[in-house]
Amino acid sequence: MRALAAIFALVALALPSATGAGGSFTVFAAASLTEVFPKIDKKPRYSFAGSDQLALQIRQGAPADVFASANPKYAQLLFHDGLVRKPVTFATNRLIVIVPKSNPAGLHSVYDLRRDGVKLVIGDSGVPIGSYTRQLLDAIGIKDAVLENVVSQEPDVKGIVAKVALGEADAGFVYATDAKPVASKVHKILLPDWSQPPIKYQLAMVRSTPRRVEARSFLNKVTSKRGRLLLKKAGFGLPPLKKR
Amino acid sequence: MSRILFAASTAVAAGVAFAFLLLPLVAIFLRVPLGDLFSQLGNQVFQDALVVSLKTSLIAHVSVLLFGTPTAYLLARKRFFGRGALITLIELPLVLPPAVAGIALLAAFGRFGLLGDELDALGISIGFTQTAVVLAVAFVESPFYVRGAIAAFEGVDPDLIAAARTLGAGPWRVFGRVALPLAVGGLGAASALALARGLGEFGATIIFAGSLQGVTQTLPLAIYAQLDQDFDVALAISALFVLVGAAILVSLKVFGWARHGSISPFRFAPSSLR
Repeated sequence: MRALAAIFALVALALPSATGAGGSFTVFAAASLTEVFPKIDKKPRYSFAGSDQLALQIRQGAPADVFASANPKYAQLLFHDGLVRKPVTFATNRLIVIVPKSNPAGLHSVYDLRRDGVKLVIGDSGVPIGSYTRQLLDAIGIKDAVLENVVSQEPDVKGIVAKVALGEADAGFVYATDAKPVASKVHKILLPDWSQPPIKYQLAMVRSTPRRVEARSFLNKVTSKRGRLLLKKAGFGLPPLKKR
Repeated sequence: MSRILFAASTAVAAGVAFAFLLLPLVAIFLRVPLGDLFSQLGNQVFQDALVVSLKTSLIAHVSVLLFGTPTAYLLARKRFFGRGALITLIELPLVLPPAVAGIALLAAFGRFGLLGDELDALGISIGFTQTAVVLAVAFVESPFYVRGAIAAFEGVDPDLIAAARTLGAGPWRVFGRVALPLAVGGLGAASALALARGLGEFGATIIFAGSLQGVTQTLPLAIYAQLDQDFDVALAISALFVLVGAAILVSLKVFGWARHGSISPFRFAPSSLR
């Protein structure tokens, strides 16, 4: 058994930086921030993935200095367990409906999604995009009729975007920022403000970080005037300005 | 001295390999007590996924046997120009990532794919239906079957076929009464492996068919969907897969399928001919 452990240790050492990140300043950020964060600051090492996965990795001691979550839930849970400092909301997002450019089902409003035979793709109820979509439909009051047209519940937002952009589905609910990269392939149907669930992105410094100065400066960059401008350009909404 | 060193190193390597391969599988069963595990199987998500999986796998598998067996027979018996290339083409899906298979199926059968207009004219829409699942499963599992079936037919002693011919048997009779019974062991093994691969299909299905409970959500898709909702259900389905996989492998050994067909046709030929 000890020999086995020794061999495992050797293998682990041989794997390139699978463990122990070395000394560089590292930001763990939600996948939807992949485009915009390097524009705000290109210095840090980024690790983009689902917020739930990143939160799990931080719990297991992954070498993150800052955590940017696409859902307050994960940042707040880490905060309450003492793993990160108090999270701040730095961006918001909205839900929209996208339809293929050819609009095969002739959809022009969210109410059209109730029509028979519309092929609608949404997120699985376990993932944030899926639960936000259900909240919104409930607020509009057409949840049951629309959910009857669902032909697929995707495990992530990329699956929804792809199926609509390819024209395979007639419509899908996604974040406003997801429509940007496929703007040439889809039309957007905007959804009323009053129906929007609160979709907040939160940023927090990891409590155990030895690179506090860099982390603080990164937080400032994201919440600065320039950071807010870049986020807005990428399609994000912004929280009201307030002194921290 | 060097002999001892060699024996020791191979033993250590084997130990590491076994530990690495078995530890995760054992861990599934240690995580939740066996009784609790199987009480999860009353879950509606699991039962719907089971029905979808069984139905689509069965249809896909029968089609693969129906079309794959003659294809394998042809490729095993005939020598012609381009045979090697054809075999390579059939094996191609084997080395492709399933995601690529899904995208390829979309490009061919999707609404805006190669055959999209033709299918549309016939009033057929494949996307998001069980037909899409069947196509994905058949596409991914057929190389496993055809490869094994070619080997099984190649293992049949050509002299026996020649003898049947000279005794006046027509090609149908030679195939049905000589080649097929002699190759049945190898065919069974190939069939079982292909079926197992088809049941586990994930990537091509999620891309081409989507995932909807009771319609296109197969067992592997259900595992993924349940990961962040009810981990115990995901674990239970995974445990079931380990058991089914083990059952398939054990039955291969017990019935000696893998031994039969391809490797030593001579040993079995006389008795099967009787």
